[in-house]
Amino acid sequence: MNNFIINLIPGKTFLHQLSGTTKVRLFFVLIVYLIMSFDLRLILPVFILGIIGLISLRPKLKSVRYIIIFVVVMNLVNILLYYLANPHLGMLYFGHETIWFQFNDYYIVTYEEVWFLLSRFLKMIASFLISLDFILAITPSEFAAGLYSCKVPYKICTIVEMAFRYIPDIARDYQNIKVSMQARGVELDPKKTGLLKRIKQNILILIPLVITSFDRIGNISNAMDLRGFGKGKKRSYYAEHEETPNDKKVKIVYILLGLFVVGYIIGRIFFNVSEVWYPF
Amino acid sequence: MSKKTTLEKFIGVWNTKTIVGVAIGAALFGVLMNFGSIRIFTNTSLTTAMVVPVIVGGLFGPLPAAVAAGVGNVIADLISGSGFWFDWSIGNAFLGLFIGALPLYGAYIEDGIFEVKHMIIYAILCVIGCGISFGLVTPFFTYLWYGGELTITLYQSVVGSISNIIVLLVIGIPVLKVLASRNSRGRNLKAE
Amino acid sequence: MKKPVIEFKDFSFRYKSQTEDTLKHINLTIYEGEKVLLLGPSGCGKSTLAHCINGLIPFSYDGECQGSCKIASLEVVQSSIFQLSSQVGTVLQDSDAQFVGLSVGEDIAYALENENMPREEMIPRVYQSAKMVDMHEFLNHVPYDLSGGQKQRVALAGIMHDDVKILLFDEPLAALDPMMGNDAIDLIDRIYREQKKTVVIIEHRLEDVLYRHVDRVILLQEGKIIADMTPDELLLSPLLKENGIREPLYITALKNAGCQLQPDHISHIQDIDLEPYRQQLIDDFHQSIPSKPQEPQDVIIEVKDLSFAYQSDHQILDNVSFEIRKGEKIAIVGKNGAGKSTIAKLLCGILRPTKGQILLKGQDYMQYSIKEIGGMIGYVMQNPNQMIVKDMIKDEVALGLTLHDYSKEDIEKNVEEALKMCNLYAMRNWPVSALSYGQKKRMTIASILAMKPDVMILDEPTAGQDYRVYTEIMTFLDYLNKEYGITILFITHDMHLAIEYTDRAIVFSEGTCIGDDSVFKILSDEDIIQRAHLKQTSLFTLAKRIGLPCDAFTQHFIEHERMNRHE
Ligand SMILES: Nc1ncnc2c1ncn2[C@@H]1O[C@H](COP(=O)(O)OP(=O)(O)OP(=O)(O)O)[C@@H](O)[C@H]1O
Ligand SMILES: Nc1ncnc2c1ncn2[C@@H]1O[C@H](COP(=O)(O)OP(=O)(O)OP(=O)(O)O)[C@@H](O)[C@H]1O
Ligand SMILES: [Mg+2]
Ligand SMILES: [Mg+2]
Repeated sequence: MNNFIINLIPGKTFLHQLSGTTKVRLFFVLIVYLIMSFDLRLILPVFILGIIGLISLRPKLKSVRYIIIFVVVMNLVNILLYYLANPHLGMLYFGHETIWFQFNDYYIVTYEEVWFLLSRFLKMIASFLISLDFILAITPSEFAAGLYSCKVPYKICTIVEMAFRYIPDIARDYQNIKVSMQARGVELDPKKTGLLKRIKQNILILIPLVITSFDRIGNISNAMDLRGFGKGKKRSYYAEHEETPNDKKVKIVYILLGLFVVGYIIGRIFFNVSEVWYPF
Repeated sequence: MSKKTTLEKFIGVWNTKTIVGVAIGAALFGVLMNFGSIRIFTNTSLTTAMVVPVIVGGLFGPLPAAVAAGVGNVIADLISGSGFWFDWSIGNAFLGLFIGALPLYGAYIEDGIFEVKHMIIYAILCVIGCGISFGLVTPFFTYLWYGGELTITLYQSVVGSISNIIVLLVIGIPVLKVLASRNSRGRNLKAE
Repeated sequence: MKKPVIEFKDFSFRYKSQTEDTLKHINLTIYEGEKVLLLGPSGCGKSTLAHCINGLIPFSYDGECQGSCKIASLEVVQSSIFQLSSQVGTVLQDSDAQFVGLSVGEDIAYALENENMPREEMIPRVYQSAKMVDMHEFLNHVPYDLSGGQKQRVALAGIMHDDVKILLFDEPLAALDPMMGNDAIDLIDRIYREQKKTVVIIEHRLEDVLYRHVDRVILLQEGKIIADMTPDELLLSPLLKENGIREPLYITALKNAGCQLQPDHISHIQDIDLEPYRQQLIDDFHQSIPSKPQEPQDVIIEVKDLSFAYQSDHQILDNVSFEIRKGEKIAIVGKNGAGKSTIAKLLCGILRPTKGQILLKGQDYMQYSIKEIGGMIGYVMQNPNQMIVKDMIKDEVALGLTLHDYSKEDIEKNVEEALKMCNLYAMRNWPVSALSYGQKKRMTIASILAMKPDVMILDEPTAGQDYRVYTEIMTFLDYLNKEYGITILFITHDMHLAIEYTDRAIVFSEGTCIGDDSVFKILSDEDIIQRAHLKQTSLFTLAKRIGLPCDAFTQHFIEHERMNRHE
């Protein structure tokens, strides 16, 4: 029942062994770093880092292959749509166009356009890779502990942790309900039913699922109250180990990177630093 | 019914029950996003998950609904592994404020109160909420963070809004009706 | 001088939404180091009493208290739940709800985390608690890798830290298979002895709890305490029968034989002095009761060399073969994860075999769709809430027929018939929410019955229900079987059920069928019992101790019981 991609028990590799705090902070710095610009000089290193990270995590190929193909294809389609909607993005971002070849008067392919779309594509894929690395490297409890270390109130962190705790239970209920509805004659095969009918039949599964899921609330909150949840203003985390030498090294990296990000954003806002880069 | 101010109803009571309710809501959102959805466009899909914040809102108030939707979306991204798309998470959370506003206009699902007038208000809020969340909030962040062509982003938003409105009305209203009538304890029941 | 730790003085409680008191003038004192069992039919207020002890009342449930309730000299109404939770450790009935951490270690540490204890201090403490319940090698396991019994152990470890004085268990056995139930009672007893705690257990399964020593039994009925005595005294009195609670089987057997019971260790089958009763039991045993042999009927389901795997590398069922004849009542038993639910899903066509065949009335079932099979084989799930979709009873029962495109008249007719069979016709226009758990269960059975299946499969039909509801459901199914010739398959952990209501048992262990015979033959086979995590009933122990053949003795007992029931 646990064919989801996130782990519940930390693995053995370098990234897995970092503390939750380190992973969460590094992740946030990298995501902001990627969001802030379209400069290929900045994106490319993180893109490569993302690939190295992914390989170092030694994921099960079967489970990640599909996702990677799916995301790459989805982004390629997006890029294509972008082009079709406006083939003159290069002009917009760089202020000049150099024609490579031409379909008709409107649909031309320029070097600038290709460069921009390439940058954007790599930016999207790099964000995806970093997210995927993060997902593969972290456990829900470390995620909660990491958020907590970033001064997020622990009641909010608990929501993330608890949601993960009950996902397998809910997924199991979902399968059970589906099965019993099928036996009573609900046709769920997409080939045999139209869209509207399928929506209707989804209601039949949804109602018992919602009811059984929300029925647990009372029991669970009682169990938590009885074990002192919400007792103090602070709490500690069993899953969050102390800073190791590796954590300290990575800490230096994300602090430096964070400073760079702040500098860059200040540069963008006040000193007209360009968000794109075109070498030719 | 105790007399709570609108603000109190909006924020909800953040006790252990609410926290668990929001967590279960987020988990349910994540599960439905991954199993109970039909993909119709890049980045958008017709998903029954959207109904979850409505119910969380009905039980605990709009802010818990928004948190359930936002966290639920992050969790859906986490378990499917398809990367984080915070622009959509924020949009969903924003939508949660609108569709989860049931207690603000007197629809108490837990006490079995969901009448025609509530249905109409709910429907209007769904349309407005989808319009604002996917027509303004999500495109704004998409544009800010990932740049690119506004037309496409807006086109995605239109598809996203419409599919969500369909789900919220076609699935949401019947579900709310069933839940409400289930909770209205049968009074004066007589064996026939 | 014994020190009282729980003191109720003329205590009453009323839930805010109720008009009457749920607990009425309770006077109860429990002393340090006592082990007490709280007994009573469903809805009598046992859990409510427990909530008063652990502070959920008034912290989490609104209501009105009168009188006084002191826990470890704290007046409950005036203290916080956090004060109380460091005195009282509670294990809730639902071990899934109790398990709030993401791994065993985290769950055991949960209370410590909430106290903001530094991690260095936490680790040795968690290890120590885990060791106490023998789970120290599982600290890194996730909840759904654990069996029900293991979860129960973790729950126990999770409440052991703060030197709690009182341990409170609300129906700890409800979800456990027979052997795990025994282990749980053993474990509670060991902790009770080693740690010198006060223990309060709430449980329907009296016989299973009495497997280890209990000081006192308190019987609750409609919010009042009607008995507070030792187990021996209680077993001698007629109170159990009067209040719809099941006696231990061996006691019933002794009473059936007409023995005058003596107040002497009778609460424990191993310690009871059988000499006075020996002759009577033997005489009664030889007095044969006429049993009606059944002529064999046609085979309606035939399973041939069936194999199945969810993932190709992990075989769940391996070469399983058996036959089911029309009108049979069959128990499918075996330990957790043996593949019982899987075989049910295969029979319904929801899953299809990877190898082998299933024949329905001689026809290979691969040609039928799930929907078509659904008309022949009905599947009733364990949790009725997972099946209920509509808010009106009538509509719910009609759902399957509507989906099968029956005509309006047919729907009406079938629904009426099914509702009448299930004794729900008078309530046909009620909302589903007005039904009790047992009635809901009957309604889900009605909704399957309306489709007129030849075979019904019931997954754990009686789990977690009190004896009255249990008898109600089982008598009703028995009636369906007799009157309408419906073949019934029970998936169950309950050996009493298997013995009393079925003719045959099919036993699964690790995906293979290790036994297929009459229930008493199966239960007298030590090897099968070991492998399938079953438990011999106390009847076997009784028969062994007086030197009668076990299976024949059980058979005799069942026939006697069936005769009693029919009178
Ligand atoms: N939160 C509540 N609000 C109102 N009434 C309640 C509440 N909880 C229980 N009751 C009522 O109080 C009575 C006693 O319930 P309680 O749960 O204590 O029974 P119980 O003896 O534990 O039964 P069971 O064996 O089924 O668990 C029941 O009639 C029930 O309807
Ligand atoms: N959908 C599934 N996908 C993969 N494995 C599964 C699935 N459902 C069950 N299993 C595995 O198949 C095995 C048999 O499960 P099954 O539910 O049939 O057991 P069971 O005998 O009904 O147990 P229980 O008494 O706990 O209900 C278990 O090891 C379980 O983990
Ligand atoms: Mg109870
Ligand atoms: Mg099962």
